[in-house]
Amino acid sequence: MGIEHAIVLFREYMGTGLVVIWFLVCLIYLFLKEERKEIRILLVYVPMILLILFFNPLFAGIVAAHMGDEIYYRILWLLPMTVVIGYTCVMVAGRLGGRKRILFAVSAVIMTIVSGKYIYTNAYFGRAQNLYHVPDSVVHICDAIEIPGREVMAVFPLEMVQYVRQYSPVVCMPYGREILVEAWNEWAVQNRLCDVMEAETVEAGELGRLAREEGCIYIVLPENKVVQGDLQEAGYEYFDRMDGYVIYRDKFFKELRN
Amino acid sequence: MENLPWGIRIGILCIWLFVIPTVVGGCLWDGGRKGQGRHRRAFTLWVSGQMLLWAGFQLICVPCVLLEKSFLYVVYCYGGLVEILAFWGIVRLCRGGIFANLGRKVRAVPLRDGQENLPKNDKSVWREMLPAVIVGTLLVFQLAQAAGLAYADGDDAYYVAVSSITNNAETMYEKLPYTGGTTEVDVRHGLAPFPIWIAFLARMTGLKAVGVAHTAMPLMLIPMTYVIFYLLAQELFPDKRRKQLMFMIMAELLVVFGDYSFYTVEHFMIARSRQGKAALGSVILPMLLWLLFVLFQRVKEGKKCGVAYWGLVVAVMISGCLCSTLGAFLLCLFMGIAGLCAAVTYRKWRLLPPMALSCLPCICYAVLYLLA
Repeated sequence: MGIEHAIVLFREYMGTGLVVIWFLVCLIYLFLKEERKEIRILLVYVPMILLILFFNPLFAGIVAAHMGDEIYYRILWLLPMTVVIGYTCVMVAGRLGGRKRILFAVSAVIMTIVSGKYIYTNAYFGRAQNLYHVPDSVVHICDAIEIPGREVMAVFPLEMVQYVRQYSPVVCMPYGREILVEAWNEWAVQNRLCDVMEAETVEAGELGRLAREEGCIYIVLPENKVVQGDLQEAGYEYFDRMDGYVIYRDKFFKELRN
Repeated sequence: MENLPWGIRIGILCIWLFVIPTVVGGCLWDGGRKGQGRHRRAFTLWVSGQMLLWAGFQLICVPCVLLEKSFLYVVYCYGGLVEILAFWGIVRLCRGGIFANLGRKVRAVPLRDGQENLPKNDKSVWREMLPAVIVGTLLVFQLAQAAGLAYADGDDAYYVAVSSITNNAETMYEKLPYTGGTTEVDVRHGLAPFPIWIAFLARMTGLKAVGVAHTAMPLMLIPMTYVIFYLLAQELFPDKRRKQLMFMIMAELLVVFGDYSFYTVEHFMIARSRQGKAALGSVILPMLLWLLFVLFQRVKEGKKCGVAYWGLVVAVMISGCLCSTLGAFLLCLFMGIAGLCAAVTYRKWRLLPPMALSCLPCICYAVLYLLA
């Protein structure tokens, strides 16, 4: 890993860059004004050395070789940005008096709001449907298909796979979250069952055959999914319908249980 | 445990997350420093105790993972260790006289710099209380959001599933978290068994591991981060409560508006609190920063830090390894740079040997990681 990659990671870490610029300004202020040695060491010298190390190609190369270059940015976690900015603002405000102090405090708050990004507007946040923070549909379907005393194999639509085993460790799947990760797409392309499940029109015969090959007892499909052919003929019968999904069960499984 | 009412199970969880760590913190209690308020004592005990508990868990769990022992083995061994530490903590707290002062009023730190607490009218009391109210409100807001909002993170499919599987199947890192089925022990992940600690809490309370991970973890780790920031503020602004509170307000705002990229500590702290790497960034690293502040201040005053202090430093270093395998490297790097800077600044080279020794556990785990 070279310096170019370190710069790319630093840019990605900075986002708009305003908070990091603010941090660097605070660092310079403390370098010039701070007198307490312990603060100079921990809030000025250490961050400066860390920044120099971060952009050092030799250091970056060694660390990335052993730890992986995609997590190299975590060295930046060692920069005490919150503490440096917070401390500098309070110190500067303390040196001002009267209205100037209030004005500075208000400006600092506005700067924080403007330069950062409100975390709860992140697109990945959503209203929690339950205490487990997994979709209700996953909770209900897993509860419905769990079989006491044994594991059960089921195939789910992609939007559910990352939640299923968080909630129920006894529900197994022929493919899981690894199929969603871009870096592993080569493997994903090879998974025919996933391709059939995610196709606009599901071929019932093909789906039944592949699901049985993988040992799936249950198939979970979205209600609005178009199914061509009859899953009953493919060996899977209707089991239940909930939260916008239809569950099919292997016919022979019931016979085996009986 | 599963048959107990919800309220009791949540009560047991609170005991595990707040009461037991505070009691265990007594093991490292050195009588406190002059002028320490009661709240500061409680905060110090809580975070110190949690570090000891995490370190103990790491020391028990990793060998069990490597030896492919059952999770039940960890439950019994760690449960026994917690009992011993709690007993020792209570004994030390009693001997240290912490309970003797409970009834007495501790001198409050003046809110305004250099001004003692004088009788005030209602308006001025309210004005001085305002920063504390803002700090509290911002914290409550974040906790409410942590419970009420769900963050969809793909990594949970690994970490939270490991917790659920462990609690259910008694095996540790021997099942494929994404799909199920057995596999060889995942040694690299097993060296940082934070999800197993969550599984332990789930086992002790009878709650589902997924619930403990997504709901209980943020409600514990977010306040713990701010408690450490508050301890830091007390080092940065000794005896200046108003400045301490202003610092806390700034820190909370910087966290709430810290989502300027997906990689920031603040993003991990709020959005992915149940993952060990979030605990590393938002709890362990600030904790080490606080401990180094304390150390350097003592060095400046020409005083030495006792066994309790160094014990806590080692516990923090080991806790970092529990949270993330990268923790071993990051903590050693920070400790190394800070130690060298302090040795040069204070011209006290004897600082370096104890600091280097405290890195030894991390080095052992890093070597294991590289060998795995």
